[in-house]
Amino acid sequence: MTKLFATTALVATLALPAYAAQPAEGETLSDNQSLSFWILDAFKSLDPQLTSSRTDSDMIRQLFEGLMNEDATGAMIPGVAESYEMSDDGMTYTFKLRDSNWSNGDPVTANDFVYAWRRAVDPATASEYAWFMELMNIVSASEIVKGEAAPDTLGVTAVDDHTLEVKLTKPTPYFLKTLSHATTYPTPQKVIEAEGDAWTQPGKMVSNGAYKLESHDLGVEGVAVRNENYWNNDETIIDTVRFVTVNDQNIGLTRYLAGEIDWMNTLPAGRFPQLLEEYPDEAVSAPWSCSYAYLFNLSDKGPEALKDLRVRQALAYGIDRDIIVDRVLQGGQRPAYYWTHWATEGYEAPEIEMSEWTQAERIEKAKALLEEAGYGPDNPLSLSIQYNTSEDHRKLAIAVQQFWKAIGVNATLNNYEWKVHIDRLNNQDFEVARYAWCADYNEASSFLDYFRTGGYNQGKWSNAEYDQLLADAATAENPNDLYKQAEAILIQDMALAPTYHYAMAQMIKPDIRGVPLENVMSSWYAKDMYRVAE
Amino acid sequence: MFAYVMRRLAVAIPTLLLLIVFSFLLMHLAPGGPFSQERELPAQVLANLNEKYGLDQPLWRQIISYVWGIIAHFDFGPSFVYPDRTVNQLIAAGFPVTLTYGTLAFVAAVVTGVALGVVAAIWHNSWVDYLAVGISIGAQVLPNFVMAPILVLVFTLWYRMLPGGGWSFNDPSFWVMPVIALSTSYMASIARITRSSMLEVLGSNHIRTARAKGMPEHRVIIRHALKPAMLPVISYLGPVFVSMITGSVVIDIYFSTGGIGKAFVDSALNRDYAVMMGVTILVGALTILFNLVVDILYAWIDPKIRY
Amino acid sequence: MIIEQSKMQSLAARMSKDEVKGRSPWADARKRFFRNKAAMAGLIILILVGLFAIFGNSFAVWSNEELDFNVMGQVTTMGMPSLENGHYFGTDDLGRDLYSRTVQGTQISLMVGIVGAAIAVIVGTLYGATAGYFGGRTDQLMMRAVDILMSIPYMFVLILLLVMFGRSMSMLFLGIGLISWLDMSRIVRGQTLSLKNREFIEAARATGVPGWKIIIRHIVPNLLGVVAVYATLLVPLMILTESFISFLGLGVQEPLTSWGALISEGAGTINYGTLWQLAFPLFFFCITLFGFFFVGDGLRDALDPKER
Repeated sequence: MTKLFATTALVATLALPAYAAQPAEGETLSDNQSLSFWILDAFKSLDPQLTSSRTDSDMIRQLFEGLMNEDATGAMIPGVAESYEMSDDGMTYTFKLRDSNWSNGDPVTANDFVYAWRRAVDPATASEYAWFMELMNIVSASEIVKGEAAPDTLGVTAVDDHTLEVKLTKPTPYFLKTLSHATTYPTPQKVIEAEGDAWTQPGKMVSNGAYKLESHDLGVEGVAVRNENYWNNDETIIDTVRFVTVNDQNIGLTRYLAGEIDWMNTLPAGRFPQLLEEYPDEAVSAPWSCSYAYLFNLSDKGPEALKDLRVRQALAYGIDRDIIVDRVLQGGQRPAYYWTHWATEGYEAPEIEMSEWTQAERIEKAKALLEEAGYGPDNPLSLSIQYNTSEDHRKLAIAVQQFWKAIGVNATLNNYEWKVHIDRLNNQDFEVARYAWCADYNEASSFLDYFRTGGYNQGKWSNAEYDQLLADAATAENPNDLYKQAEAILIQDMALAPTYHYAMAQMIKPDIRGVPLENVMSSWYAKDMYRVAE
Repeated sequence: MFAYVMRRLAVAIPTLLLLIVFSFLLMHLAPGGPFSQERELPAQVLANLNEKYGLDQPLWRQIISYVWGIIAHFDFGPSFVYPDRTVNQLIAAGFPVTLTYGTLAFVAAVVTGVALGVVAAIWHNSWVDYLAVGISIGAQVLPNFVMAPILVLVFTLWYRMLPGGGWSFNDPSFWVMPVIALSTSYMASIARITRSSMLEVLGSNHIRTARAKGMPEHRVIIRHALKPAMLPVISYLGPVFVSMITGSVVIDIYFSTGGIGKAFVDSALNRDYAVMMGVTILVGALTILFNLVVDILYAWIDPKIRY
Repeated sequence: MIIEQSKMQSLAARMSKDEVKGRSPWADARKRFFRNKAAMAGLIILILVGLFAIFGNSFAVWSNEELDFNVMGQVTTMGMPSLENGHYFGTDDLGRDLYSRTVQGTQISLMVGIVGAAIAVIVGTLYGATAGYFGGRTDQLMMRAVDILMSIPYMFVLILLLVMFGRSMSMLFLGIGLISWLDMSRIVRGQTLSLKNREFIEAARATGVPGWKIIIRHIVPNLLGVVAVYATLLVPLMILTESFISFLGLGVQEPLTSWGALISEGAGTINYGTLWQLAFPLFFFCITLFGFFFVGDGLRDALDPKER
């Protein structure tokens, strides 16, 4: 152990003041410090290592706290870790943990993190997010997930109660950014061993975040209340966070307008302009790090036509992104001509030819390309568009079908349930399919990794140069240059038809302060918010 | 009578078994499984999950151990999607809700429907009759997924009288809109049936005799006409009750009541095999039970029927 | 909406009696039917809706899938019903013409209703007649099966079928049709039992006519009235069921639509000032249900007159 420390030099230390809700001068706090947040579907699991859904994560982020948190702009700030050191080679991180407690009063120790992280990769836990530890490049993570090594070989050790050491297989520029993800949150070993799967039920759950679980009425609401044992409880203002399930977006909006919900962060498509006009101090749109695209199936099972670059280009040109963004979604989304979300930190997009043209030019070029490829009025190209059940996906698919009709492509629509959609994507049983990707951490690699050979990459596009650029970026001084080049290759070869970059069109009650609209990951912490008196 | 009830209950068991086997096979034939993920799970993880939920067993063994679990321990297994809940817990949480608003809606539909029908029949061909017929015809075809958003708009947004969703066993204001949305169209059907059967009974000989004897009209209706006029209504109660449970799909979606209707649709979409089976069996058992109750009621009212 | 089984039984009893008198019940019935104002109104409505479904498209300016880019994005103001731009019924949320979508939705809904009812009636009649005619063990077994099937929560099974096998027109027809033949089969069986000992049936049997031929030639025609009334009353039930399925998002594939799909889309947006999206499809939906309903009722009353 000492030997190890001798070889690691102190490279970076983080000792910023903790971030909390801080009312500005002249603001009086309201008597009502509760927050009702709309969710579309019931929580599936509130277990940090088992969850795979965004809705769950929003609640888990209130209940648990990881090594790092995000501030209002999305920058990483200390959570349970007070400071950290990185070794010269960038492959060992040592975190110094602050004195903090679980909601039952027990101290939070480095061992709680070791337990949780091993639990995440242990195949016996069967976590759907075990791969996240692989993404973090923690030593042995991949072997453990495959069942080739024991969970206790994971490269994470509790040096003492307040010191956690993490060993990586290679320098990972985005490593710190992964530490605010639910999968990395500590979990209470004693409680889990005593209660088993039921430990996340109200009354049984013990958590270390600013809030603790008060009740969870499946499909109705989940309520979190202040955790008196939270280390920064004194500076927390919001007392209660209610997550209200409303399965119908339009009814959700009605209930917001009736004052039953305080914050609705996904408005029904097309409603934002009208709401902005009527409620200018409540309607707001903020970029959100997700991108929407139509995937081409380039595998052996895919249609021959799509293997022709000209066809893929024509299809990508044919989509009128301005109409999708301005006339269908109307919530501050931006047309996408490349894959990585435009607001991703440090990302600079390559120049994309088609983004400069007018739609008329694109259509003209698309028609010419299709003709070159041997398709025309006598021999029209026929394709199927697959999408999963959702009002918005339905609208977009209908619009795209019409856009493609204008360049002489006959597309049929195939609507499937999410589970079936995913199954078909994974088995390459599709021709063109709608897909969207949300960043797991705020860096371009989170998007670009999707198209790596061996990545998710359900369309099975493969390019050696692209793979090499991504591999190089992992250790590069300035990876963003390489990301830019990789993105250029992706679009040159039109591996997908990028469609739009997400934004969250939302309604927030005007007395709520501290909503992190500048955080493109849209990770929010109720402990950083407060309500002012009107 | 007792023998008849026993015989019916005996039929119930193969019926439920058939339902179990049918739903079980249907689920396992379907594309997509409970563990289908965007990122495919590592083989080891998938194997563990399959083992945990018994999906690694051959289908016939899965069915047998499932049925055995129910018979021996009344255990419907763990949910595949909500890891911290068992199917028993999910049903224990959702079913009382569905049963509460379902029963209230049932009672509301029967009471108002019968009242409306009787009133219309008594004042046959008057404006009361036309009004009642008009209401019942209009309400009969209005789907509850149209009713529900209109109710929320009016009572929650415009008049701020009722909460737009959620559930509480202690606060009846949460019950009002689900009950109205669920009961209206059945109320209308019941009103129509009551009216026509009441008209028939009022025109019959034994009522004429009663009147001829100089019995006051209200006694004629209450003592002699109402009971026989109820027969067609009663035969309709079975299907109505089942529809109350089915209708909870719409109610749960619009009013976030957390009943078993939404739980069923979700479980089908998420391939949560265990929850889906549990709810199907529950609703199947209720259907059988209620049909039986209706038959017994029918026999009690109509002395001509012998079993 | 429901079908009153007791009235159907009384009708069936009468239909099988009339045969004995050797006089067709239809001539009298026709007279009575034409005198029934509600039934006639229903018939006229149905004819008009039928014409709308068949010829409506020739008046449409837009197709059912075209997006009107002038309207798209400002449906609340530009998408209103208007004669000028050819959107007689306004547009939906995407700027598609609601008139041609309603025409097309009418076609689908009527088709689902009629095919579904036809399947139910055919299966129910043949099943019931077979059970009643052969009697004994066969009858016992077949009617036990009906008892069992009666206790299955059909809406749940239908949802399962559509979720599991994906949405398709044929599954919809099949699923909807298969849920309503049970009551029909019971009534038909009952009447077959009383028919099969009549002289003309015995005569046919004596000359060696096979059982299935007797069922089709002699028993079914005697039940035609019940079949006709039942079918008419089943259509609105099928349409209602389809609308519920569409509400759950398990109905027909885009760009095709149905009343149920149009109504549930329209109901979702009632708060946004686009009421026409609900009003037009709902109007056609309601009047058609009334139509079938009045005609079915009228037909039954005409065939089975009771003193009132």
